Amino acid sequence: MMHAVVDSLAMIGVSYVMGFLFYGFYRQLNARIQRRWGPSIWQNFFDNMKFFFKSETLSHGPMFFFGPMIIMAGAFTTVLFVPFLKDSTWLQGFSQYGNLILIIYLLVVGPLGNALAVGSSGNPFGVMGVTRGLTRLMGLEVPFFLGLALVMLQHETSSVHAIMAAQDGLANWGIVTNPVAFVVILLPFIAAQNASPFDVVGAPVEVYAGPRVEFGGRLLGVLMTQNMMMSIAKLVLVVDLFLGGASNVLVLIAKAFSLFLLTTAISMVFPRLKTEQAVDFFWKVPLGIGVLAVILTVWLPSWSA
Amino acid sequence: MTLPLTPVWFVALPLLLAFASPLWVRYRLLMPLLVGTPALLLLLAFVLLPEVRTGPLLETIVIAPPLGIHLQLDSASWILVALISLAGLLATAFIWLSDAEPYLRDRRAFVFLLLLIAGCNGMVLTGDLFNLYVFLEIAGVSAYALSALRRDASALEAGLKYLIIGSVAAVFFLFSVVLIYLQTGQLNMAAVAARFGGIPAPMQLLIGLLMLVGLGIKAELFPFNFWVPDVYQGSHPVLAGLFSGLLVKAFLFVLFHLVFLLLADPQVAGLWLMGLGATTMLIAEVVALRQEDMRRMLAYSSLGQIGLITLALGFGMQATTAGGLFHMVNHTLVKLLLFLTAAVLLRSFVSARLADLAGAGRARPLAAALFVLGALAVMGLPPLSGFASKLWILKGFAEAGVFWPVALILLAALIEAGYYFRWIKVLYDPNGDLKAAAPVERMAYVPMGVAAGLIILLGVAPFLVDDLFIEGAQTLLDRGAALSAVLGAGS
Amino acid sequence: MSAMLRLLFFVVSLSPTLLLVTWDGSLSWALIDGIRLHLTLTPLAGFFLTLLALAAPLVALPMLRRPCDWPSLVLYVLLLLGMQLLLLAGDFVSFFVGWEVMTWSSYLLLLRSSRADMETSQSFILFNLASAFLLLAGILVFFSLTGDFAIRSLAEPSLPQALTLLALFGLAFLIKVGTLPLHIWIPSSYDQAPDAFSAFLSGSVSKMGVYGLILLPTLFPDALASFAGRFLNGPAFGYLLAWVGVITSVVATFKAISQEDMKRLLAYSSIAQVGYITTAVGVGSSLAIAGALYLALVHTLVKVLLFISVAGIVLQTGQRQFKDLGRLIERMPISFFGVLIGIIGLAGMPPLPGFAAKYLVFVSLVDARWLLLLAAMILASTAAFIYCYKLIYAPFLGHANSPGAKEAREAPWPYLVPQVILMGLLVLFGLFPGLAIDVLIDPVLVGLQMAPIGAESWAKLTTVYGGYDGVVLMLVFGIAFVLVTGLFLLLRGRMRRAGSPYDLSFAGEVPTADTPLHYGAGMGRELRRIPLVGWILRQGTRGFYLGLAGQMRAAAALLGNLYVGRPQAWILIAVVVLAASLAARAMMGGL
Repeated sequence: MMHAVVDSLAMIGVSYVMGFLFYGFYRQLNARIQRRWGPSIWQNFFDNMKFFFKSETLSHGPMFFFGPMIIMAGAFTTVLFVPFLKDSTWLQGFSQYGNLILIIYLLVVGPLGNALAVGSSGNPFGVMGVTRGLTRLMGLEVPFFLGLALVMLQHETSSVHAIMAAQDGLANWGIVTNPVAFVVILLPFIAAQNASPFDVVGAPVEVYAGPRVEFGGRLLGVLMTQNMMMSIAKLVLVVDLFLGGASNVLVLIAKAFSLFLLTTAISMVFPRLKTEQAVDFFWKVPLGIGVLAVILTVWLPSWSA
Repeated sequence: MTLPLTPVWFVALPLLLAFASPLWVRYRLLMPLLVGTPALLLLLAFVLLPEVRTGPLLETIVIAPPLGIHLQLDSASWILVALISLAGLLATAFIWLSDAEPYLRDRRAFVFLLLLIAGCNGMVLTGDLFNLYVFLEIAGVSAYALSALRRDASALEAGLKYLIIGSVAAVFFLFSVVLIYLQTGQLNMAAVAARFGGIPAPMQLLIGLLMLVGLGIKAELFPFNFWVPDVYQGSHPVLAGLFSGLLVKAFLFVLFHLVFLLLADPQVAGLWLMGLGATTMLIAEVVALRQEDMRRMLAYSSLGQIGLITLALGFGMQATTAGGLFHMVNHTLVKLLLFLTAAVLLRSFVSARLADLAGAGRARPLAAALFVLGALAVMGLPPLSGFASKLWILKGFAEAGVFWPVALILLAALIEAGYYFRWIKVLYDPNGDLKAAAPVERMAYVPMGVAAGLIILLGVAPFLVDDLFIEGAQTLLDRGAALSAVLGAGS
Repeated sequence: MSAMLRLLFFVVSLSPTLLLVTWDGSLSWALIDGIRLHLTLTPLAGFFLTLLALAAPLVALPMLRRPCDWPSLVLYVLLLLGMQLLLLAGDFVSFFVGWEVMTWSSYLLLLRSSRADMETSQSFILFNLASAFLLLAGILVFFSLTGDFAIRSLAEPSLPQALTLLALFGLAFLIKVGTLPLHIWIPSSYDQAPDAFSAFLSGSVSKMGVYGLILLPTLFPDALASFAGRFLNGPAFGYLLAWVGVITSVVATFKAISQEDMKRLLAYSSIAQVGYITTAVGVGSSLAIAGALYLALVHTLVKVLLFISVAGIVLQTGQRQFKDLGRLIERMPISFFGVLIGIIGLAGMPPLPGFAAKYLVFVSLVDARWLLLLAAMILASTAAFIYCYKLIYAPFLGHANSPGAKEAREAPWPYLVPQVILMGLLVLFGLFPGLAIDVLIDPVLVGLQMAPIGAESWAKLTTVYGGYDGVVLMLVFGIAFVLVTGLFLLLRGRMRRAGSPYDLSFAGEVPTADTPLHYGAGMGRELRRIPLVGWILRQGTRGFYLGLAGQMRAAAALLGNLYVGRPQAWILIAVVVLAASLAARAMMGGL
């Protein structure tokens, strides 16, 4: 019991710290590419704290207040159901009670809860942003899930633990044994991280016309926190599935960071897509690759057998 | 003095009462007797039932050989006789209880209704071709007269049209009887049947065709049924119900009785009749889709059901035949119920047109509910009687492994649903603007309720009566037994 | 008198429950000519009877509200009796009788609505009767093969026989569940049916088609697998059915998103949900059947809940279009929670049981190696989030857009009691995903001679592909929520309620009461810009069926011309037919 509590707090702490550091780094890198100095790597932490200690927060009713709470609780739950380390009793959270499909769905629970708050605010632009977010989700989830299904099929389980355990040694990493699946999920994964070029929902231009339009003060702080933690949860999940997992925190950070670098590099290069362009893209390119992968790795072996 | 309970009464009683009608007018007994006669006949039928089930009752009154009256009450004709009496009872009870239009309640209507019953009973019972012709004319003439009873243009037109086409039919039939007599020298059906095989094939064909056209017109088979909608629409709905429920059934029965009796091998003729039946059914159901007058719609629906019965009887297997006979009974009950509902609605709203009846279900909930019940039964939806008989027919076809009639019957039922449910929808239309409804005698619902009750009873518990129909079918199909019963064994 | 009758009606609505509790043994009733109705209760039927027992009294409650529509109550009783007969049927005749009674009584109930129009009611009854007659045709073919009407597996049918049966039965059931392209009767009839009855149509009546679909493969257990072989790791024939189901789900989901009427949206969502069930039935493995049954359970609970909530909204506001509602969260809080729980279940989000059901289906698809189907199903279930959001946003959030919505009060208790009960059941099944498996689904699987799923404990859903623990999940989420909220409130600073609903960040302007601020109608409209979605939304089968109806009417007119009113023509035809037949016979050398 005590172990579970300490472990949970540790996971939340790790993901939070990783979150603001990664995003601080991202802002630095982004600035350097654009030939600016950029903020310090701690800037995200400072921003976050500043929001949390705002003296006044505007609310539009109870549901408006509970939305960020739900999304935060959702982020905690998600983090706690993703195993951070393998072969360890620590940083496991409650992951043995869950599975991959559950995690994918948990990723959405919070945002949907927050969507209620956005609707409750009465700002049509906020709702428009939510709709765009859901539309993008509809686009990205199909190839993303298909890629994950390939992994599940490969290991014949939906348990993240089991998938991690099967990847002992570099030669057995998911990215080596099932590279197509990794290719299939890579771009949807970037979109799931709300990163460019699929970031139309939360892009700076959408501050006035996006899901967060009505939020300010401490509530915005909550939204920011959960965003960082959720990003880490997703990164760790992909590390677990394709990069063999991590046996200690340093390896975890290293692997997650390299993955983060990869996605960031892609994000930096491409311009932003409109929602419908993004969806169309997901249904053509990643899904197309996914279908090819299914034909190559599932259909052909079964026919030749 | 004891009156022998013989089949003669089925013909004699209505005839006698009809001819003594001036007496009844004087004693104000017209209406009680009008209802009482079919009731009495129904009673008589049930009294005779145990005897009939052991063997056919024959009755011969020789006038001058070969002329004579020859009546034969067997399991098959018993069904028809009971049905005619029952239908007559319900219709006349409706005329009495609903305080119907005066022209249906006077002496002429009394005479013609009883003559119609007598004629139909005679046709069904008779074992003699010339008698058959006579009864056919009696029934026919009374039907023409009944159509024209209401003295307005449409009724007179209907009566006249009926008269013309009916006479033509009678002529065709008479020709065939004459030819048979010339060829065989016999008029007794059994005797004719025994020698029919000896007639040269071309002559057989000619006789058969003449008979088919004559009876086909009367029994409303395609392509001889184009007169039906006009006549049904012009006549009072109760009379249309009687025509559809009782007259046509009698003719249909006669047609098949002759087919199964005269032909040693009824397969080919049966197949042709099945074809006619199927065509009748499909065409009538399709045409009914567009009808805007309830009486006309019911007329087409009636044609469709006749087609179905023909299809079933023509197959000549015991299960389909029994089912067909059962369906005759059900259809009579249902059509009578529907036509009586039409009469109530016509009375209430002056019009039987679709557009004028929108929302009638609110003003006349009971009538509309009975219409729904009738419609469900006619489409053969469980748990109503139409389902039991249709299932029986379909099962017969399935047992024999013949599936084209099954497909056609189900298709026709679907088309039928297309228009019946359209009517139901209109009857319950919430937005219809309805004229004020004229009052209808509440007692009028009694005969309709009885019919509805029978429909439900026969639907839920058809096992009560299925033996009767199986025996009827056996009798109808067993040519050898029929011949030997009349002519004696070894003939 | 009235109170007594209403009580009696309610008791009758409990009859499925009573039947479930008291039924033992079997019953037999002679029909005609050796046909007997045999009533027994198989485990599979028992499952669907349970669903009926859940839904029937809950739908009956709103119907009992004064002023009662007595004919509706009578018809509802008939409908219930028909469905119970259908479920108890041990032979095809009673199955068909129950099916038909259900069909016509639900049609007549549909007519009780003042909004039902001719096209809707005709399409409802004609499609359902077509389904019934196909069923009857299948039954007759079956009868001709076995010689009796008992529902049992067919020993070694030949390929054409099995195909014929499969086509007839399959079409019949697919019409009833409403897969593409046979779904056209569903949206408008669910929309126009009396509001409480829509819940029953969607929640219970459509399940009878599912019952049939699951029953169908048991008729020829080996034939299905043998005649089309296997595709990957599942039956090849099921692959086809699964695609039918999934395409139905995808198309219906996009159609649902584009609806502007609450009940129509729910109707399309119902089609989509039943599409998932069809897919699962197509997979046919024990996992998939468990998933199908689980989906059926959840769909019943959710759809009854949602339709009753919506019925309450319609009753209190008089509005049913998304654009005319809004901001009801403050006026109808219980209904809000009803819809909230409903859409969480509908979207298949954890921790409610919708997720457990979907999980089983997903896993079964992975197990069968049918990944493309899985991807398509994910598409449908993710797109479903959009209409779920629309369903809760447009009536309850945003801005009230009509006088009715501005002045509405909470729905009356006959609407609330079923909602509360259903919410409780959904949460219960969500907490204990193994409960439904252990109590409801495993007995059916055993009855179907499949491997049971098994549950370690009621809290856990376990499959060979892993599982999850509902109690832990709910606890973690709940504790996290409480903690987060508590911590948040501990922080310094105060919350201020916005002064007016128009106190918004509105692109630098100040909106007024006239500014269109409710996004209810437009939501999802921009989805048309996605090429695939736009293409799907442009398609429809209505034109085809209307064309068919038009052709029938044209045929009727054409054939009607035969029935001229001139006696001379009649006589002419009679003579000509006679002469022609003779001539034909003479030509063929008969004379």
